[in-house]
Amino acid sequence: MIVYFPFLLFAAGTLVAYGSTGLRRQAATIATVAASGWSLVLLVDPGSGTWAIGPVVATLLLPRAGQRAQSNFEGLTRRVVTLAVAVLVALFLATRLPIGENPILLSAVPWLLGALGTAWFVSPIDEPERLQGQALMIAAVAVLILIAVPTGPLTTGVAGAMALMPIAGERGRIPGRLRPAFSGVLLLAAGAAAALAVVGPAIRPFSMDDLSFDVGGPVLLATAIVLVAGSAVSAVGAEWAALVAVLALIASAPGLRWSALAALVAVATGLERSAERPAWLAVGVLSAVPVLQALASPSWSARVQAVALAVGLVLTLLAATTGMRRVLVLPAITLSVMLALSSLSTSNLVRFQWIAAFGAALLIAQPLLTMLIGGSRREVIRDRLLFGLLLLAIGARDSLGLGELAVVLLLVDLAIVRIDHLPAASDRVARMVFLARSNWPPSATFAGATLAVIGALQASLVLGLLAAIMLAALQLAPLLDRHALAPGPERPRSSLRWIGPVVSIACGIAPALVLRMLRL
Amino acid sequence: MPLAAQALLPLAALLAAAGFVRWRPRRRVNGWIASGATGIAGIIALVELLRLAPGEHVDVPYLTTFPYADLAVRLDGLSLAFAATTLITAAALMLTRQQVRGDRRDPWFGWLLTSAAACAVILADNLLLVFIALQLLTLAWSGALDETARRRRGLRLSVQIADIGLLLAAASAIQSVGTSAFSGVPSDTFGLATFLLVLLPVVVRVAALAWVSSGPQAAVTFEPSIAWVAPAGYLLLRLLALMGGRLPDRATAVALFGGGVLLAIGFATLALGRPAGLRLAAPLLAAQAAIAVALSAGSVPLMTAASTWLWLLLIPLAGLVSVRVVAGSLAETLTLLNLAMIPGAIGFLGFWLGGLALAATGLLFGMIPLVLAVILLAAAALSRAAVIRSIHVDPASIWASVLLLVAAFPIVAMNPIVLPAAATVRLVPRGTISASPLGIGTSFGAWPALLVSVAVAALLGIAGWRLGDRLPLRRARGRIVRWPTGWARWPVRPPAVPTWSRFLLGGAFLVAVVLAMVRP
Repeated sequence: MIVYFPFLLFAAGTLVAYGSTGLRRQAATIATVAASGWSLVLLVDPGSGTWAIGPVVATLLLPRAGQRAQSNFEGLTRRVVTLAVAVLVALFLATRLPIGENPILLSAVPWLLGALGTAWFVSPIDEPERLQGQALMIAAVAVLILIAVPTGPLTTGVAGAMALMPIAGERGRIPGRLRPAFSGVLLLAAGAAAALAVVGPAIRPFSMDDLSFDVGGPVLLATAIVLVAGSAVSAVGAEWAALVAVLALIASAPGLRWSALAALVAVATGLERSAERPAWLAVGVLSAVPVLQALASPSWSARVQAVALAVGLVLTLLAATTGMRRVLVLPAITLSVMLALSSLSTSNLVRFQWIAAFGAALLIAQPLLTMLIGGSRREVIRDRLLFGLLLLAIGARDSLGLGELAVVLLLVDLAIVRIDHLPAASDRVARMVFLARSNWPPSATFAGATLAVIGALQASLVLGLLAAIMLAALQLAPLLDRHALAPGPERPRSSLRWIGPVVSIACGIAPALVLRMLRL
Repeated sequence: MPLAAQALLPLAALLAAAGFVRWRPRRRVNGWIASGATGIAGIIALVELLRLAPGEHVDVPYLTTFPYADLAVRLDGLSLAFAATTLITAAALMLTRQQVRGDRRDPWFGWLLTSAAACAVILADNLLLVFIALQLLTLAWSGALDETARRRRGLRLSVQIADIGLLLAAASAIQSVGTSAFSGVPSDTFGLATFLLVLLPVVVRVAALAWVSSGPQAAVTFEPSIAWVAPAGYLLLRLLALMGGRLPDRATAVALFGGGVLLAIGFATLALGRPAGLRLAAPLLAAQAAIAVALSAGSVPLMTAASTWLWLLLIPLAGLVSVRVVAGSLAETLTLLNLAMIPGAIGFLGFWLGGLALAATGLLFGMIPLVLAVILLAAAALSRAAVIRSIHVDPASIWASVLLLVAAFPIVAMNPIVLPAAATVRLVPRGTISASPLGIGTSFGAWPALLVSVAVAALLGIAGWRLGDRLPLRRARGRIVRWPTGWARWPVRPPAVPTWSRFLLGGAFLVAVVLAMVRP
C-alpha cells in the first residue's frame, strides 16, 4: 500500500499547486518534488534521496506571489490542455518503460514530475512559474535517468542540484572586476586541457567518493573547446556556465551528464528565449537515450536510441542559432552525441546517417522556405550549411577519424569564430578575422568542411555527394548572407576578441594536431 | 644541401620575396626583386629537373601525421617541368610589368603569392594537398578575402566549385586505398567518374581563358598563364600519370578527344568574330588549350609527348597574350603568328606529333576535325594581321620571338623539359622521339623544324609584302560576341509559397524519421 503514497502525494500537491497561491503553492510544489524523491527512494535505494535537495532548494528560491495572476479563458484552456497532454504522454511512457516489477503508479511519479514541469514551462501563468517549470524539468531528467542507471548519493545529489541552474542563470553574474581573472583562469584551463590532450598520457577515469569523471578520449579536447567558448564569447558575467558544460562532458554517470546538459540549456534559454522549445525538446529526446538503454525492451531499444540521438542533434542545431545556445549548448551536446555514437551498431549507425542527411536537408530548406514565403529571414545560410556538414560528418564514423575531426573543426568555427560582427578597419587584425571567417584555407571552416566531405564519402557515396553539394553551396552562401552574421551574446569589446580567429587559423593549419587530441 | 631543403627552395625564394615587398611596399625596386626571385625559383626547378635521372621521382615528406594526406613535395619530371616553365613565365611577366610606365599599382605581393601557390599546386605530393593549394591559388589571384567582393566573382566561384571535383577524387582515393599520395595510388584506382570529376577544374580553367577576354585589360595580366593554363595542364597530365597514361576505356578517350576538338572549333569560330588584341587572343588560346585536352586522350607515347608539349608551351604563350601590345606593332604580329598554330609556330609541333600518333594507330581520320580547328585558328589569327607600322623592340616582341625560336629549335624545350614530363605521364620508349638542332625525329616521320620555320618566314614575308596595302584581310565588325563576366541575376522574384509549407517540411522530416526507425 505504501508504494502508492508517492503518487497520492504528487497528485495532491499538483492539485493544490494549481489551485492556490503564495506559500501554499510553494509548499505544494515541494510536495510534488518530495513525492518524486520518495518514489526514487522506493525504486532505487534510500541514499538516492539526496536528489531532492536541489529541486526543493530551487523551489524555495522561487517565491510565489500571494495574489493570483490575471487569467482568461484561452489561457486557462491552454494550461489545462497542456497539462492533460503532458500527463497522458508521461503515463504512456511510464507504461511502456516499466521499472522492474514495480507498480506503474509508483514508477509514473517521476514521469509526472517531468510532465508538470513541461506544462508550466510551455504555458506559464507568470515568469516564476516558467522558471519553476524549468527546474522541475531538469529535476525530472535527473530522476528518470537515476532510476534507470542508479548511482551513489553524492552523484545523485549533484544531479539534483542541477535544478538550481535556471535560477543561477537568471540571477548569477560574475562581478565585473572578477570577470577578466575568471576568463583568464578558464583560458588557462582550456590551454592545459589542450596541452594534456596533445602530449599527455591517457588519463584513467577518476572518482571523488561515488562521483566519477572520465577525461579519456576526446573529452579533454571537448573540454578545451567549451572553456574557450565560455571565456571568450559567452555572455557577460555568465562565463561560469562553461563549467556546467565541462561537468556535462566529463561526468561518467549519465544521470549527472544529461541533467547538466539540461541545466546548460536552461541557463542559455534564460538569457535569450528565442528557439527555446526546440532546445528543450532536444534535451527531452536526448535524455531518453540512457533511459531507453536501461528500461526499454532490447528488441526496439537500440534503434530508438539511434533515432533519438539523431533527432536530438537535429533539434539542437535548429535551436543553436544565436547566443549561449550557439556558444556553449551546441558544442556540449554535439560532443556528447559524438561520444555516444561509438556504441551504435552498424545498422543503427546507418539509421542515424539517414536522419542526419534528412536533418541536414531540413536545416537548409528551412531558411530558404522562409525566404520564399516572404518572411524576414534571420537565419544565416552559411551557418545552416555548416550545421548540415556537421550532421553528415558526425554520422560518418570512419576508421580514420576524419568525421570526428571535421565535427570538432566545424564546432570550433561555429561556436568560437563565427560570432560577433566583423571589424570595420582594414588593418592586419581585420584581415586575419576575415580570413578566419572565410571559406578559404587555412580557416577552420575550410578544414572542417573539406574533411567533412572526405569523411562523409568514407561512410557512403550518397552522403559524400550530399556533403560535396553543401560545400559547393557554402561558396555561394556569403552572397546570400550579406545581411547577417549569427549574433553572439552581448559582449563589450575585449582583448579576448582575437582568440576566435587565432584558434580558427591554428586549427586550420594543424588539423592533424586536433586529430591527435581526439586520440582516436 | 639536403633534399628536403632543396625541394623547398623555389617556394622559399618566392615567399621571402613576398615578405620583402610587403615589408617595404611601393618601391620601384620591388618589381626587380619579385621578378628576380621568381626567375631564381624557376631556374632552381629547372636545375632540379636537369639533375633528375630518367624516370626518377622523389617524394619529400615534411609532416607525416596524416597517413592519407602527408605534407610532402613531389619532385618528378612532370612537376619540375611545369614548375620551371610556370615560374620562368611568371618572372617574364613580372619583368614585362616592370617596364610599364604610368601604372602606379603595386601588384608584386599578389603576383608572388600567386606564383607560390601555383608552385605549391605543382609540387604537392597528393591530391588533397593539390586541392588545398588550388584554393590558395584562387585566393591569391582573386585577392578576394572578402568573399562577397565583386571583382571576377563569377569566375572565382566557378573555379572554387569546380575544384570540389578534385576533392571528391581525393576522397575517393582515400576511401579506396587509404591515401591520395601520388606514389601510393595504384593506376586502377580511378574510374570514369573520378576522371570526370578531375576534368571539371581543368575544363573550367580552359573556359576561363576565353571568359577573361571581356574583362578589363591591364597592361599585363598575370592569371591566364599562371593561375589557369598551368594548373589545368598539370592537373590533367598528373591525373593521366596516376592512371598509368591511359584513360579508363576507349569510349572515354573518344569522348574526350571529340569534346576537346569540338571545343577548339567552337573557340576558333568565336575568334573569327573578334577584333585584334586580347579579345582575339583569348579564344585562340582557349582553342589551343582545347586541342591540348583532345590530344591528352591518346594512349600512345607520341600522343602523350604531343599533349605535354602543347600544355607546357601554352604557359609561356598564355603569358605572351597577357601582355597588351600596340596595334600594328611587331609584337602584335609575332603574337598572332604564335597563336595561328601554323607551321613554324610552337603549337603546330604538338599538332603534327598528334597527327603522327593518330596515323600510327590507324585513326588518321581523327585528324579531320583537328585540321578544321587549326585552319579556323589560322584564319582567325592571320586575317587580323596588320602591316607592321613600327619595329620597336619591347618585351612582348622579344618574348614572341623566343617562342618562334623554340618552334624552330624544338630541341631547346623537347629534351630537357617536355620528354621528362611526358615520361612521367607514361613510359616513352627510347627512340620514340628524338630532337636535334634541325628538328624532331620520330619512328613515324621527321619534322625539319628549322627548315619549316625559315620557309614559313619567307612565305609570310612575301605575302606581307604583296598584300601590304590590303592588310588586315578582315576588318573588325562593330558587333562582337561578349561572354558574361558575372553570374546572371535572379530574373524574377520567385513564386510565393504558402505559410503552411513549413508544416509540410516538418512533416516530411518526421516521415523520414519514422522510415529510418522502421527500416530493418
